[in-house]
Amino acid sequence: MENFTALFGAQADPPPPPTALGFGPGKPPPPPPPPPGGGPGPAPPSTAATAAPGSDKSAAGCGPFYLMRELPGSTELTGSTNLITHYNLEHSYNKFCGKKVKEKLSNFLPDLPGMIDLPGSHDNSSLRSLIEKPPILGGSFNPITGTMLAGFRLHTGPLPEQCRLMHIQPPKKKNKHKHKQSRTQDPVPPETPSDSDHKKKKKKKEEDPERKRKKKEKKKKKNRHSPDHPGMGSSQASSSSSLR
Amino acid sequence: MAEKFDHLEEHLEKFVENIRQLGIIVSDFQPSSQAGLNQKLNFIVTGLQDIDKCRQQLHDITVPLEVFEYIDQGRNPQLYTKECLERALAKNEQVKGKIDTMKKFKSLLIQELSKVFPEDMAKYRSIRGEDQPPS
Repeated sequence: MENFTALFGAQADPPPPPTALGFGPGKPPPPPPPPPGGGPGPAPPSTAATAAPGSDKSAAGCGPFYLMRELPGSTELTGSTNLITHYNLEHSYNKFCGKKVKEKLSNFLPDLPGMIDLPGSHDNSSLRSLIEKPPILGGSFNPITGTMLAGFRLHTGPLPEQCRLMHIQPPKKKNKHKHKQSRTQDPVPPETPSDSDHKKKKKKKEEDPERKRKKKEKKKKKNRHSPDHPGMGSSQASSSSSLR
Repeated sequence: MAEKFDHLEEHLEKFVENIRQLGIIVSDFQPSSQAGLNQKLNFIVTGLQDIDKCRQQLHDITVPLEVFEYIDQGRNPQLYTKECLERALAKNEQVKGKIDTMKKFKSLLIQELSKVFPEDMAKYRSIRGEDQPPS
């Protein structure tokens, strides 16, 4: 602290030299303190000398107020007005922000075949890659003639499974989306009738023991006819078929 | 304006449908379907020609690059529009708040300065055309 005070004192002392150099104490108040005189006479030049060169013109007509600029026009469009209403975008605002917009691309393009919800980087089908590496656009599109068509003679028979999946999966996905939509829509209404849910659960619970009894009886009958459990085998078969 | 897009949309839909049918033919190829395949291949060429023709009508259309990011990620591009509108409104409100605060500050400053420097402020008002409220 002592050092700091010493330094501060040392810093406080030097100012006199500059005054001696010519920045005189007579001019120190750049904004002239006695404006009542009204004369812009000697003061403006001193301010103009210190202020930016552009302010000279404004300072000339503004009396003691140097650096004064013209106010922006009131007709100028600023953020103080609601720009969405100004540009008549209320309808689109309500359209996109009023309702929930579905997340996936397939909801926007429901009729487009293929797995479009996957990121484009997975199969090099991104639009960005089109911009970064634009395709070579040589001439025009010419029809394929007889000799060129020879190159498209294909082998008979089905495609390998890996390639087939590309065509088979999309419709399954569409069904899944439909289920998801119904699932997402479902939770909204049951918020209020919470009692009905309990009732349903109770009903299920009541039905459960009866079903269990019936199942047990069926199993017993089956076991009497055959020692093995055919149910297990069938379930395995179905699961394996579903995997395929 | 809308007609341009309708034309392009129509051509794109036809093209996609052709590709889909081509995929079906190819997925289980039979010798008898070679003629159909050749026909489909030429339909694709004509489809590309039609889409290319649409390019001339859509020269003045600009698309923000950020939309491509949404599509590349398998997201609905309408989300981009939504977020843009929300961002614009939020920024609009923010700027309006700043402007209103600055206006309040200005009137308060003029009010207080008028008390301390009445003559100067009288000059100021005369320069400004006396449109500034004195209090």
